[in-house]
Amino acid sequence: MNPALSERSSARVRPDASWTTMMHMAAREVFQLMVNSDVQVCANPPERQAGKVSAMVGMAGLLCAIFRFRCAEESAISIAKKMLGVQKIDNPSEAFDAMGEVCNMLAGNFKAKISVLADGCLLSVPTVVTGEDYDIRSLPSGEHLEVCLEYEGKPMWVTLEISG
Amino acid sequence: MRAIKVLIVDDSAVMRKIVERCLRQAGIDVKEVVEASNGIEGLAALKAGPVDLILSDINMPAMDGLEFLAGLRGLENATGTPVIMITTEGSESRVVEALTAGARGYIRKPFTPDQVKQRVTPLLEAMR
Repeated sequence: MNPALSERSSARVRPDASWTTMMHMAAREVFQLMVNSDVQVCANPPERQAGKVSAMVGMAGLLCAIFRFRCAEESAISIAKKMLGVQKIDNPSEAFDAMGEVCNMLAGNFKAKISVLADGCLLSVPTVVTGEDYDIRSLPSGEHLEVCLEYEGKPMWVTLEISG
Repeated sequence: MRAIKVLIVDDSAVMRKIVERCLRQAGIDVKEVVEASNGIEGLAALKAGPVDLILSDINMPAMDGLEFLAGLRGLENATGTPVIMITTEGSESRVVEALTAGARGYIRKPFTPDQVKQRVTPLLEAMR
């Protein structure tokens, strides 16, 4: 971490009402440029998040958070095929790798839209988790921002779990 | 422009393929692509032989893009080889750090083939 960032990291940034809009905008741009697809806010989001593939990127500095992108395996495969411009994915690990990169770009694009975060926090390398049955338990006094988006008729989630 | 040999350094195999595809879509004549998943592998690839252009991610495990840039100094096979950083970081300080360390430009993810072309073509034209 650079010295300026280290000095400022004790003063945390709190989210405001614009952040979920920024998360949506960040997702739309990434999908338009890298997946050649549009994503819309899900009109009727399911009550609970679901989907076998979750990619996560840690954020540290003025914002301590986990940026998460979750979708069905079928969606992850479709996203990977479109990113690579291929008809078929031979190895499922390519879909997981693509999900990690999408999450990385979502987190990077999101923080670039919040002027104080652009230079005020760093991103970890992405981690991809596969499996349906898990819960995220926010840290005490943490905040949770979530946007449910629709891709090819299926829901997917962009979530920011902020440490208190 | 002559056909070029490119080194692409990124921990994501998918991103390496996307960068290669963008170069080809941008009309750049790529005769060979050497791939590395981090800076250590990138330096090893360069010790094995020179390339015409290096595209490197910044945020990577084992050895990140900034350490990789530092490692290029004094490496005979990398002398004069243009390096473009590809990053998700909106952080100006990281970009400035990369440019100060010798990178000739940067591309921010997400990107289009046109953006890749805009960054790469002037460097290749200067090499002619």
